[in-house]
Amino acid sequence: MIRLTRRYRFSAAHVLARPDWDDARNTEIYGKCANPSGHGHNYVLEVTVRGEVDPQSGRLVAVPKLDAIVRERVLALLDHRFLNRDVDRFETEVPTAENIARFAWDALKGEIAPSILDRIRLVETENNAVEYVGAEEEA
Amino acid sequence: MSFSSAHQTDVRPSTHGHNYELEVTLRGDVDLETGMVMDLKQLRDVMESVVGSTFDHRHLDRDTSYFDQRPSTAENFATVVFDLLDGALPSGALHRVRLSPDEDLTVEVSR
Repeated sequence: MIRLTRRYRFSAAHVLARPDWDDARNTEIYGKCANPSGHGHNYVLEVTVRGEVDPQSGRLVAVPKLDAIVRERVLALLDHRFLNRDVDRFETEVPTAENIARFAWDALKGEIAPSILDRIRLVETENNAVEYVGAEEEA
Repeated sequence: MSFSSAHQTDVRPSTHGHNYELEVTLRGDVDLETGMVMDLKQLRDVMESVVGSTFDHRHLDRDTSYFDQRPSTAENFATVVFDLLDGALPSGALHRVRLSPDEDLTVEVSR
């Protein structure tokens, strides 16, 4: 089994709060991340693909092509944005690290043929990272 | 371990170099006497003799024969390193090799 992981960076602001909960409930669940003013992170996004190495190119995937797809489908939508306001999906879904990882997964799954999306890892801070390998029915 | 090699590929035909980072993961039972899966000095010696002495401060394409028939991409290099280590370590001990030509790209080979 061979996998290739490419690392990208982006910076974004967010608020972790549900509009249908009151401040006390949001603070209980999300702590200081619920501050409505928003705060930001320098995120690291790791995209892992698996598949077969092409005998001609010696590559699992053309890395410049992978970079272009990740830039267009993920980074361009998230980098230097206020996620709750600027990204449609996060108007209704709280932009936790978990949900941002799923956003990246959904944006990239099936887009990087012939290789297969294997894992998304999103590092929010040095102490906090999320890995997503898809829903069970996709496995 | 870290080592430095030069190479070239069809996509990047000028000879250039990388500081490669190599992570080797073993899997096995913990020895009841030593409390270890494997003596780390022994592992270090194998990595040095199999990988370090072959590739460190060498040109992958000119100074070794591993890439005569295939480009020296990270994918092919990691596969070569996996096979070399697998042949030098106790049978079945090698679990995974992770090779990074730079901090933004990592290739992982496992069984």
